[in-house]
Amino acid sequence: MRKYVVIYRSVLMENLQYAANIAMGFISYFMLIFVFINLWDYMYASPGDLIAGYTKEQMIWYVMITEMIWFGARSATIRQQVSADIRGGNIAYLVNKPYWYPLYILSRYTAEWNIQLPMYAALTAVIGAAMVGGIPGFRTVTILAAVPCIALGMTIHAVFKICISMLSFWIEDADPFQWLYDKLILIVGTIFPVEIFPAALQPVLKLTPIYTVCYGPAKLIVDFSAEKYLEILSAQVVYLVAGCGILFWIYQRGGRKLYVNGG
Amino acid sequence: MLTAVRNQLRVCALSVKYNIMREMLNKVTFVTNVLFMMFNNATFIVQWVILLRLRDDVGGYTMREVMLLWGLAASSFGLSRILFARVFSLPELIINGKLDSYLVQPKNVLLSVMTSGTNTSAIGDLLYGLLLLCIFCFSVKRLLLFLLFTVTGAGIMTAFALLAGSLSFWFVRSELFASHMVGSMTSFSTYPDGIFKGAARFLLYNVIPVGMMIYHPVHIMIAFDAAKLFTVLGYLVLLSALAVFVFYRGLRRYTSSSLMAARM
Repeated sequence: MRKYVVIYRSVLMENLQYAANIAMGFISYFMLIFVFINLWDYMYASPGDLIAGYTKEQMIWYVMITEMIWFGARSATIRQQVSADIRGGNIAYLVNKPYWYPLYILSRYTAEWNIQLPMYAALTAVIGAAMVGGIPGFRTVTILAAVPCIALGMTIHAVFKICISMLSFWIEDADPFQWLYDKLILIVGTIFPVEIFPAALQPVLKLTPIYTVCYGPAKLIVDFSAEKYLEILSAQVVYLVAGCGILFWIYQRGGRKLYVNGG
Repeated sequence: MLTAVRNQLRVCALSVKYNIMREMLNKVTFVTNVLFMMFNNATFIVQWVILLRLRDDVGGYTMREVMLLWGLAASSFGLSRILFARVFSLPELIINGKLDSYLVQPKNVLLSVMTSGTNTSAIGDLLYGLLLLCIFCFSVKRLLLFLLFTVTGAGIMTAFALLAGSLSFWFVRSELFASHMVGSMTSFSTYPDGIFKGAARFLLYNVIPVGMMIYHPVHIMIAFDAAKLFTVLGYLVLLSALAVFVFYRGLRRYTSSSLMAARM
């Protein structure tokens, strides 16, 4: 395990050098949030309205938090690097290193989001306080409860992204599948809370990664309840175990494919 | 003079043609990229179905207008990235000193750079835009206007990316700034202008040229207005001239990295 901690630490130090570059991403984040603030301002005809049980402030904060997770989880490592390693044949060298390749990628990714996410969280707090106002009924302790959920959500997201990238063992370009997964998370998970969808669809959506990656952590921050907390945390553990199983299976199968093709 | 222009255009057309042919070498990947991009864009329909269930209109736009907006945005982005994809990675060429291979060619430097790459999935964007028009609000007049505004939109998009990208001749960090500014155009161009007010509206029509690229054309396609049409055309000419001027001013500052490279 120590080797993964060393990888994590080295990538963390490397990324700290590029904090200014990460901060440039604030432009895109701000523009997007600005669009959503205007959109929900328009959708809520009067300030006291409720849409799917959310007040305007809760709805905007929900979107800001899911987008914060989305921007904080952006990583070339889990998307481009895995695909490039497989397509370029570099994987043939990496599998011989004294580490398990998927865990090596996960260590790198964790170091990346550990820098990015707190930066975006700070920006979210500033924008929210300045442009939206406080979350109704919010308590600071909620943040402490939500942190493990966010961390689990980020890891689940990475596991699924790596699984998709590893499809490059079979197809040349896994990007189209990445687009679809991203859109599933973006449209169904970040823009709207699950409650806004028709009642018949909601149980189905709760079975998708959306529930554990975006909805869960954001819901806990805007509308915390102990019951919901346990439900989301349990779902995340189940999802993570299942995701790791799929990752292991794909990597094993892909490795055999690599052997046949000679790298 | 005319022969020179004709030759230059022929070189550009051949460059784009060979870029696309190169991408088509792996036909399965090519077709998958195109189809999945169309499907990828189509997923946003879900967002609008939900929003329009909550209210009859969003910023004065019903489903028909939203799809027209989306179609034009997709087609404009698509055409821009099919023909001039390299403009969007111009900062990388400048910062890494990779413009040498274009500078030694006996043809126009800017056009050679612009047409030296293509983006396969952008074909899906272009087709998706046309498909939306045909499904949601087809008429011959609207189709002609749509095609015209796809060209002007692609022109404005390319000129804006060229202008933002050319800042890399002066500032190293502007590479990221340019990509975020161009990216933010995507965010704004797929939402109705009716939801923005005051200073935001002013910015969208002047600083980030989404108003001229998408909003005005959509208004014209809904209710024809010649004055708006000439405004869009005039804006395209001015922005393009400014972008070309800034590129060539910046090119004087360009320093080679002595990188050995060949254009195949």
